[in-house]
Amino acid sequence: MTDDLDDTSPDAASEDRRFFLKQTMFIAGLSMAPADILHAALAPDDGPVGNAVKARISLTINGRRKRLTVDPRMTLLDLLRENQGLTGTKKGCDFGQCGACTVHIDGRRALSCLTFAVMQHGRKVTTIEGLSHGEQLHPLQEAFIRHDGFQCGYCTPGQLMSGVACIREGHADSADEVREYMSGNLCRCGAYPNIVDAILEVKKEGRKV
Amino acid sequence: MRPFQYLRPKTVGEAVTMAADHPDAQYIAGGTNLIDLMKRGITSPSTLIDINHLPLKKIEHRYDRTRIGALALNSDVAQHKLVTRRQPLLAEALLAGASGQIRNMATVGGNLLQRTRCSYFYDVAMPCNKRNPGSGCSAEGGINRTHAIFFNANEKPSCIAVHASDMCVALTALDTDVVIAGPNGERTLPFKDFHRLSTQQPELDTYLAPGELVTAIEVQDNAFTEHHHYLKVRDRASYAFALVAVAAALQMDGGKIWEARVALGGVAHKPWRYWAVELMLRGNAPSEKLFREVAEHEMRSAKAGEYNAYKINLTANAMVAALKTAAGIS
Amino acid sequence: MKKQTPDNPADNSLSRVDGHVKVTGAATYSAEYAVPGLVHAVLVTSTIARGSIKAFDLQEAETAPGVLAIITHLNAQPVPGWPAPKQPAERAPAGTAFRVFYDPFIYFDGQPVAMIVADTRERALHAASLVRVTYQQEPHQTHFEKNIGKAAIPLNVQRSKNSPFQDYTRGNAGAWAQAEIRIEAEYTIPTQHHQPLEPHAIVAVWEAGDKLTVYDKNQGVKSAQGQLAQAFKLPREHVQVVSPYIGGAFGSGIRVWPHTVAAVMAAKQVRRPVKLVLGREQMFTSVGYRPYTVQKISLGAGKNGQLQAIVHEGVGQTSMYEEHLERTVQGTRTIYACPNVTTRYRLLPLDVNTPTWMRGPGDATGMFALESAMDELAFALQMDPLEFRLKNYAESDPERNLPWSAKALRECYALGAEKFRWENRQMQPRAVSRNGMLVGYGMASSLYGFHRHPSKARAVLRADGSVTVQSATMDIGPGTGTAMTRIAAGVLGMNAKKIRFELGHSALPDAPGQNGSSTIPSVGSAVYVACESLKGKLLALAGEMDERFKAGRQAVVRDGQVFGSDEDKDGLSFADILKHHHLNELEAAEESKSGAERDQYSMYSFGCHFVEVQVHPLTGEVRVTRVVTCADVGAIINHKTARSQSIGGVVGGIGMALMEHSEMDHRFGRYVTSDFAGYHIPVHADIPAIEVYYIDKPDVHVNPIGSKGLGEIAIVGVAGAVANAVFNATGRRIRTLPITPDKLI
Repeated sequence: MTDDLDDTSPDAASEDRRFFLKQTMFIAGLSMAPADILHAALAPDDGPVGNAVKARISLTINGRRKRLTVDPRMTLLDLLRENQGLTGTKKGCDFGQCGACTVHIDGRRALSCLTFAVMQHGRKVTTIEGLSHGEQLHPLQEAFIRHDGFQCGYCTPGQLMSGVACIREGHADSADEVREYMSGNLCRCGAYPNIVDAILEVKKEGRKV
Repeated sequence: MRPFQYLRPKTVGEAVTMAADHPDAQYIAGGTNLIDLMKRGITSPSTLIDINHLPLKKIEHRYDRTRIGALALNSDVAQHKLVTRRQPLLAEALLAGASGQIRNMATVGGNLLQRTRCSYFYDVAMPCNKRNPGSGCSAEGGINRTHAIFFNANEKPSCIAVHASDMCVALTALDTDVVIAGPNGERTLPFKDFHRLSTQQPELDTYLAPGELVTAIEVQDNAFTEHHHYLKVRDRASYAFALVAVAAALQMDGGKIWEARVALGGVAHKPWRYWAVELMLRGNAPSEKLFREVAEHEMRSAKAGEYNAYKINLTANAMVAALKTAAGIS
Repeated sequence: MKKQTPDNPADNSLSRVDGHVKVTGAATYSAEYAVPGLVHAVLVTSTIARGSIKAFDLQEAETAPGVLAIITHLNAQPVPGWPAPKQPAERAPAGTAFRVFYDPFIYFDGQPVAMIVADTRERALHAASLVRVTYQQEPHQTHFEKNIGKAAIPLNVQRSKNSPFQDYTRGNAGAWAQAEIRIEAEYTIPTQHHQPLEPHAIVAVWEAGDKLTVYDKNQGVKSAQGQLAQAFKLPREHVQVVSPYIGGAFGSGIRVWPHTVAAVMAAKQVRRPVKLVLGREQMFTSVGYRPYTVQKISLGAGKNGQLQAIVHEGVGQTSMYEEHLERTVQGTRTIYACPNVTTRYRLLPLDVNTPTWMRGPGDATGMFALESAMDELAFALQMDPLEFRLKNYAESDPERNLPWSAKALRECYALGAEKFRWENRQMQPRAVSRNGMLVGYGMASSLYGFHRHPSKARAVLRADGSVTVQSATMDIGPGTGTAMTRIAAGVLGMNAKKIRFELGHSALPDAPGQNGSSTIPSVGSAVYVACESLKGKLLALAGEMDERFKAGRQAVVRDGQVFGSDEDKDGLSFADILKHHHLNELEAAEESKSGAERDQYSMYSFGCHFVEVQVHPLTGEVRVTRVVTCADVGAIINHKTARSQSIGGVVGGIGMALMEHSEMDHRFGRYVTSDFAGYHIPVHADIPAIEVYYIDKPDVHVNPIGSKGLGEIAIVGVAGAVANAVFNATGRRIRTLPITPDKLI
């Protein structure tokens, strides 16, 4: 486990101190001077620490525990892509209408564009980068290659994360069921039939996903 | 998006107090609608109260009711044994909505409070009475293909948008209460009185007072578990809002309908309960002819705009189709 | 002919060479380049369709945290390749590409009027929401039907006598009136948008003020390089365009659009690398669209089903400032044998942004109308629609009076009909129902012209026996690298795993952009000749080592070795040949282009689609339940990826037929469908299993690999086939797409 002390967001205190000081800090009932915020310890059961400009959060991404400072407005998707360099999770629409940003939060598929990073404090997030074990691809990743379940590849990480969840949820027993439960993942290239075949095959093989 | 203060209460009391202390605050649960609205600048709370850690997830059966905590996720509700056994119409409606991912995030409380999907409401460059009261309704006289055909009798609507939820259509057909916590304690509202029609204050979708928090819904046990159907007509096969939706529930015995419920989605500012139809169905043997007759009966009060006249036929047809399926006649 | 399956070993198909990086999220798309010091640009766009900017109120935005610059036409540094704006400002005359932040005029709704550059995306977006613009509004015209009287012969066509968009008549222009059986109808397709899943994005990086690198979403790195070099007056080699992974485009990336230029301007102005990603709503007004088009078709035939006359008129929408021309009516001149054919094409300029090519441009539009009309006439004749098409089969190109380079459309029809079991189709509509649903069958033909552009490729054999092949071509999704690897592997007799194909970088050998189904015909040929050339050099070197390999002998390559003959078992490995000659590598670079064959033959890809739909009799919902698509595109290079491309075309066609519709509120001149909730594209549940078949016979006249384009014919005709199936199911002829439930109720 690592304890990254990333702090890539700009130093707000220096550039807009007036605004910064105006904010009252309610979080976890603490009241601190700005400088304290960045160095405050995060109690595991408490919420994030911070104000309207910065909040300190702790979450687990692909098995690694991270302590991060974020703008509360930052979505989980932007945290992954812009802050963590995990660009495998894609931004297709940013409004929860395409599924490209699908990740697993505490083991369940969710749209990372429709949740703030600050809300994920204490949660476990798995992205496409965490799906395979090193060089060993996940069975569904292999099946996508075998069945040509993608063309441009942009919706693919979302389709995979959703497809794995679909199998785990028990919603991959027939082509029609897969189609219905995968309908939140748009593919403009039209790889749908191949994606369905890949999911059904992995489900049929009965391997642990 | 405007910067906001993020708060995370652990109890309902704490949450309600926080809301009272911050008049500009909003509760956030699943966030599947609110974040969308915040990104577009339609709503700009200065404080966000994250209620996801309140103990409101439980689904249980008490006396003659299924009580569903406001934070129960749509997907959990849809597959919970209590719901599939006692309220299968609700499960059906939930699964007709959104996508697997969104159902994993969206809560029951949030679903009740989701805002319309009228495209004029979502485009801050266009006039909209709901977003900006008094600016006018762009849908009236605009592209109103997806808009309402039922309104408060004899009143000119200030907003012709429709309610977007599937779950709420099923809850409207069933006997549901909404449990609400507020600064003055708990209260309960019958579901039919929870949402508003648009006439006076289109910016308000519900009768929830400022700072109040939905904590649960309670659905009465019923005899509709065998004969029910949720039919959703849409522009594509899945992951689209309803053009028209019908929740039909029948209690049948000896070849006759003893009790009937019909609620409609996609036709009004709130889910529309079809009281007259229910009365007309009672005591009759199910047939396509009967369904057609009752379906067309209330359509006489429907009013269409330039692009949604088709909804009058479609609603009647969808009702016939849903009732047929519910009654098990082909 | 066997069914194409994704993993049929007999196909000897390659899985995608970039499969691993795409399924692991490691492929890097344009917005994903982590450049040190990167800042974020967000566009503020107009909310009126015509007028001019009166004033900006930037006070709030300027003081918002993190803002580095706000760029508008008032303070933008001049783009050196553009003329200085006129004083006083004048509206750009027709024929001028839109210039961003150039003048105060508003040409369309959604036009960029200001750009925020800030240190984070959140802050840039927030500041953008604080920009206030006041406009001098002028009346706008965006309504197609209300303005159709203003449609005219495009200026570009008026100026060019030989333009293919000129009015066309063969035979007797008045023949239709005399035909025994006639139909006449009008068909409308609404505006449709490409909406690739990846939004257009760019990371622009200036070095030393005169060298520019852009990581940009486009369909042609060389053309983007040229256009940016011109705009910023830089030597071509000072501009590098890096675009190895493109998340779909379908035509939206053929041009360099204003937002790309804007990002480059921003990076120059703030002296920092800038990332600009279009919002999904901006994708509706920034990167073109398939134009709204109204067509009138008059068809006449004898009672025997012989076509006697076709008149096809089309009016397409364009912007006030540019003409976008499409082949809307041109396929009609070619596809059937008919003695009397007239086509006319007009443009209607409106206060909208300029349309652009979208998958099957013109032909997908035109063939929806023509193939619907053919179905209508077949019904009027009470003739099977397939039989009707066969009756009018064009044995040679009736437009150019030339033989086809190859045409196996007849075989496509036969194969498709057999696989689909077309013989079960009932002539009368509403004759079949299944599980309470009305069932209908429909079919349509497809064609698309052959395009081949001069292309270069370089093949380099390394000391370790691996080969790198390079060309500045693109992969927006069809699997270019995979197909090229397969061509190279075939020529060089090597395992594909030892070949690496590089694309998507402007420093690579010249290649056309990926459009017009031209990549395999053009670049595939270049790769073929480059690898042949490399093989020749290798054999020459081998010949110096061993008599068996001397020129004129039967030397062959296989398994990365040179052999004296097919039977020879004692080979010399490529690596050993290099080693023997003390070479680190061996390179061959070649160019390939068309020759005189273009004047001797008429070259097209052909195909047909068979579609089954089920229509709910009460709700009017249409579901496509079965599709068989069959194509003759010459030799198939890689079956697995080709099959996917065909499926993708059908999916696009189903979207076009059933749901895609960009709808504008003309009071505002603004789209009301500006996201994926309003603009529907097909989801999983809309798409059934799709069967794909190819004739797979090389067209020996077109190029050295015998392969023609596939990307466009995969979609051309599909919408017509769906509409025809809907008619067969319901008796309702829907002539205005999309076929949504409201139209069938």
